[in-house]
Amino acid sequence: MTTPPNNGGSAPSEAVVQDFANMSAALMGFQASFIRPFLDPVNLSGIFYQFAVAQVGQTMMDALMSAFDALSKQTPPLTAQQIADTLLEVSSPTPSNQALLCQSIIAMWYLGSWYPPPFQKDGLQQVISSQAYTKSLAWNTAQAHPMGFSAFPFGYWSQPPGPLTDFGVNTGGGQ
Amino acid sequence: MKKIATIILLAAVAVTMVIMTPETSTMAPAADPAIVLSPKIPGDAQFGPLPPNPTNEQKLLAIQGDFDIYSWNTFIALNWPPGPDGNGDPNKTIGQNGDNDTVWEHYRNVDSVFLPGGAKPTYTGPGTVPTQCKASYKPGMKIITQVGKTPTVLTAFSQPFNTGPIIDQNGNYTRFEILVNKPMFDYILQNTLYSKAGQKVFSGAVKFPCGVLNGPEGAIMVKAAWKVIDPADKSRFHSQTVLVYSPASQNPKYPASCSTKTMGLVGLHVGHKTNSAAQWLWSTFEHVDNVPTEADVASGNLKTKYNYYDPKCAASKCPPNQTPPRPWNPTQVSAFHSQIVRMNMFKGNEFAFESAAARNADALKLLLGVSSSSVWKNYELISTMWPTNTGQCQATPGDPLGTPAPNFLANTTLETYIQGMVPNVSSNCIECHNNATMTTPVPSDFTYVLQRAQ
Repeated sequence: MTTPPNNGGSAPSEAVVQDFANMSAALMGFQASFIRPFLDPVNLSGIFYQFAVAQVGQTMMDALMSAFDALSKQTPPLTAQQIADTLLEVSSPTPSNQALLCQSIIAMWYLGSWYPPPFQKDGLQQVISSQAYTKSLAWNTAQAHPMGFSAFPFGYWSQPPGPLTDFGVNTGGGQ
Repeated sequence: MKKIATIILLAAVAVTMVIMTPETSTMAPAADPAIVLSPKIPGDAQFGPLPPNPTNEQKLLAIQGDFDIYSWNTFIALNWPPGPDGNGDPNKTIGQNGDNDTVWEHYRNVDSVFLPGGAKPTYTGPGTVPTQCKASYKPGMKIITQVGKTPTVLTAFSQPFNTGPIIDQNGNYTRFEILVNKPMFDYILQNTLYSKAGQKVFSGAVKFPCGVLNGPEGAIMVKAAWKVIDPADKSRFHSQTVLVYSPASQNPKYPASCSTKTMGLVGLHVGHKTNSAAQWLWSTFEHVDNVPTEADVASGNLKTKYNYYDPKCAASKCPPNQTPPRPWNPTQVSAFHSQIVRMNMFKGNEFAFESAAARNADALKLLLGVSSSSVWKNYELISTMWPTNTGQCQATPGDPLGTPAPNFLANTTLETYIQGMVPNVSSNCIECHNNATMTTPVPSDFTYVLQRAQ
């Protein structure tokens, strides 16, 4: 324990990571407090934000975050679904690059992998990290777990899975 | 969500209420948690206030600090000189005479809990003495022995997942033992979980008792790693004269044997189930001379001598963290010496390193204040693993692991070959112990010891 490890590069501010988590929660129908818990030792919000910035550039990410900020401040307040529909431009047959970036961000959270948006030149499809894979939200939505990794104790398969809300899914009060 | 944060907030409200009660209006607020020289084993961690508007990293650092303080207070209390009842003697102090007998060594060794034929165990009285040790055994003598044919748990000289032994720089195999405290023993006894037959008729879920802050301790498991030391080195180790038992083996073939050795403590794991940690708190300590870190090796910042690393042997000749070649024969001095390096398992969790370093410095100051010859100054906390998302003595639904912090934690003497940062492969105390069952296919509440029932 004598020589400290290298801490790596600088991290985005807490406010930026929280905004990214809030936007991600709206895009995916998850609870923001699940995406970015009060104590977050895994820090996927921070890791995914930095990863996306490295892929598409700070300018494009800032523009997306500004668009989300404007939507989230509207009066009367928009629902998470309305914010998602707007950012994803669901009514447009030719979504903008910003909407395509939103699609890649959704895929990143659900699958732990980066699927390059069509406009990203030389973009590489890749698994972001082992933890991004095991913590990806597709498993929660299926009330299941990834192959090779289960948080559930022995014999869980003999019981019905818990409700979707236990897995962080924002069901809007329903199940 | 029920989180540690809720506990911290409730604690703050409780403190405020105490201060506002007229009869107690002169009381000072509860002190921030601190490492203290006390024989009292903490029933749980105590939480201090968070800094204003903290970042995620600052929150984790602050609460990791509280848990690391808990770990050091536990280490001090467990290694306190015991009185006749086995509890820490308040009239003595840890390390006042250099080394001392300890409280945890009077806990019950699991080989005296899970007896042949499923016999009913007792907490006190002579433990199991293997035939080969009987001639050398004297009452009260520690015996480090094989604890049963349970290939996925620690045995006398192997490690989790049968990853192999660790052999010191003198060619001696490191030995292990596991002990349980009275509350854990009592739960096993009351529920007849000490026998296969008792486990078979047990219904419901295994739920060991949780420790309570400023109250009783919960179930505690201690795992210790020991190495043979030269008597001249006793001033640097907590040491014991021990009967070391090696069970018979067919491959390689050797008979059971027992010999008297001077053993020094090199690793100490403490698992404690508490109200704030249904997934248990996992504190892990090591001797400061065990191994260098990856960063030490890279920078050349090396000591002249380690317990498990030869600084004069280049990586090309002595590649680090290799399992010893078979056959493994703990009864003989090995030509192979383990070359172990502590891998950085805190990438992204740097708060764990920072917190442990600060708490180690605080503890060192206290221990040196007792005596400059205290052997306890030579032990360091590697970290404490704790659940960030847990309820009061029960897991949060949907998150049985409680999202542990740090994400990974290994003791180089106990999880030598599973250091790293790969989920389900690298050492994570909570994740691994969550898979534990009894001899029946029933989860055993984060302990593998129940698999030893006969």
